[in-house]
Amino acid sequence: MTAFVLAVAVGALFALGTFLILQRELIRVVWGLVIVSQAANVYLLAMGEIVPGSFESVPVLAGHGEPGSGTTDPLVQALVLTAIVIGFGMTAFALVLSYRVYEEHDTLDVTKLGDRE
Amino acid sequence: MLVALLTAVVTLLLRQRVRARVVVSVAGGLGYALAVAALCWQVVLAPDAPGIATYQVGDWPAPYGITLVADGLSAFMLAMVATVAAAATVFSARYVPSSERRTFYHPLFHFLLLGVTGSFLTGDLFNLFVWFEVMLMTSYVFVAFYGGPLHTRAAFWYVSLNLVASAVFLLAVGGLYATVGTLNMADMARRLAEPAAYGIDTRPTVGLLALLLSVFALKAGLVPFQFWIPTAYRAAPPPVTALLAAASKKVGIYAIVRVSFTVFADAAVVVRLPGIEPTTPLAFVGAVLFVMATGSILVGGLGAIDRDSLEGVLAYSSIGQVGFIAVPVAVAATTTAPGLRRFAILAALVYALNHSLAKGLLFLAAGTVRHATGTIRFDGLGGLARHFPTLSGTFLLGALSLVGIPPLSGFFGKFLVFDAAVRADASAVIALLLVGSLLTIAYATRAWNRGFWGARSPTVEDATIDPVQVAVLVALATVILAVGVGFDPIYRFADAAAGAALDAETYVDAVAPRGGESG
Repeated sequence: MTAFVLAVAVGALFALGTFLILQRELIRVVWGLVIVSQAANVYLLAMGEIVPGSFESVPVLAGHGEPGSGTTDPLVQALVLTAIVIGFGMTAFALVLSYRVYEEHDTLDVTKLGDRE
Repeated sequence: MLVALLTAVVTLLLRQRVRARVVVSVAGGLGYALAVAALCWQVVLAPDAPGIATYQVGDWPAPYGITLVADGLSAFMLAMVATVAAAATVFSARYVPSSERRTFYHPLFHFLLLGVTGSFLTGDLFNLFVWFEVMLMTSYVFVAFYGGPLHTRAAFWYVSLNLVASAVFLLAVGGLYATVGTLNMADMARRLAEPAAYGIDTRPTVGLLALLLSVFALKAGLVPFQFWIPTAYRAAPPPVTALLAAASKKVGIYAIVRVSFTVFADAAVVVRLPGIEPTTPLAFVGAVLFVMATGSILVGGLGAIDRDSLEGVLAYSSIGQVGFIAVPVAVAATTTAPGLRRFAILAALVYALNHSLAKGLLFLAAGTVRHATGTIRFDGLGGLARHFPTLSGTFLLGALSLVGIPPLSGFFGKFLVFDAAVRADASAVIALLLVGSLLTIAYATRAWNRGFWGARSPTVEDATIDPVQVAVLVALATVILAVGVGFDPIYRFADAAAGAALDAETYVDAVAPRGGESG
């Protein structure tokens, strides 16, 4: 069930993101990029699963007595965290950049960007 | 082996004063080259070299920890990048105006270097993604560096494309993790070699491999992912463009070689495509690469002939040249004979080395021309040859090396690529290479005629030239000449690198992942 919901969510996010990237307005393109990268994050998260905790999969537990009954996959969580941080930085940069584009070109319409060089 | 990374980081920390920073930056660039040389010596060239060195970050054993691996292939690539990087740092010390707005140039330059180094050394797929991002983020800033309308537009395309590529890369990484159960490349190779033992369903891996290929091809600028190159290269400052052409593209090539020949070489995976015989992943990669390379050589060559500015020609020629590197890789992937495969990889590496050196030299020369005359469009240039014989001489040398005239490094690159094609007995490949070479000759000649011969334009007449920049050019040109004349050690180094690229077994053993059931 969870897998199904996640699959639908990832699919919807990708569709929405792609739709936005293909827009003419620059800010929408940025939003589209953000949504696509979030979709990738959700997908990454969905790739992990809940497994019986063991020293093999969670080596940190080895120093702390008995492993718990079930743990999520820590690696996936770490990956998503990293991806989120990178995505956050990129979003900020893309927004600043689109502001600069607006300053230089006086427009945010992609089709009109080429006019002034 | 971490000296290379440390040098870059230390340079960054010492960035207080403008003048001091320039000095530190140059010292860092040279120190980087030295560190890489030491690494190469230790890993590959020394008489009792192990051929491969690994470092488990934080002492976590693979596959849990992050592994850094330096084998012949990484070392060769690093040596190539370091040569150009050292030249580019010295060059940029004189090129970039040290005004208030430009203060972040040098730290960023070293971050770019750091990203490239990391990509070459990492032994883990997700870390490859992270290093890619490190490298890309700095290159975004450089493309937008001058902040004019042209630059912001180029930067926006560049950023958008690469963000999409990053998302795709994440998808591929996540998918591979879910199917194979590891991200460590050595571990992945081992598991894919016997999927049954680890309970791996191999069907999705092919699609994921294709996703990875598309991302790497975007980085390398292969057709059909080439369209960001001309605008981005024109927008970035020339020393950075030299480094982008010499290093970032090679990261794409390196990633393709590493993933296909180390991770997927022994994979017991069968590719089933509609209408095509079932085949191995390598043959699949080979076919795809060959199509891409064909497109690159044609688009790059034809595009370069048509440009009206020096950097335009160089950017398009970059696309074509990457095609030349991809052809032998494709040959290596398609063939089944181990000897030929090794030879083809060797050819690709030598050609990549030549391309890095020559293209680095050419972009830096273009930068010098722009610095001196304020323009790089052909209609503003002319008569450079008589006015600045040294500068023009180095440019000519770089161009000749691209064309492949002995005794320059380009000759051996071209020769080996052709030789690989002949040995593979593929007449289509040979024809393609011939057409590509003719195109190279055509656009190199045209650029030379229009920019350097003919009547002197007023801008050229008034121009003065920076001696340090020319000195750097001469140094690089000497390196090209030296590589061409004393080719034997380079050949052995490249041969070792090619051997390392194909020797997945040693790679796996060196990283020594324990068979943990993680995930």
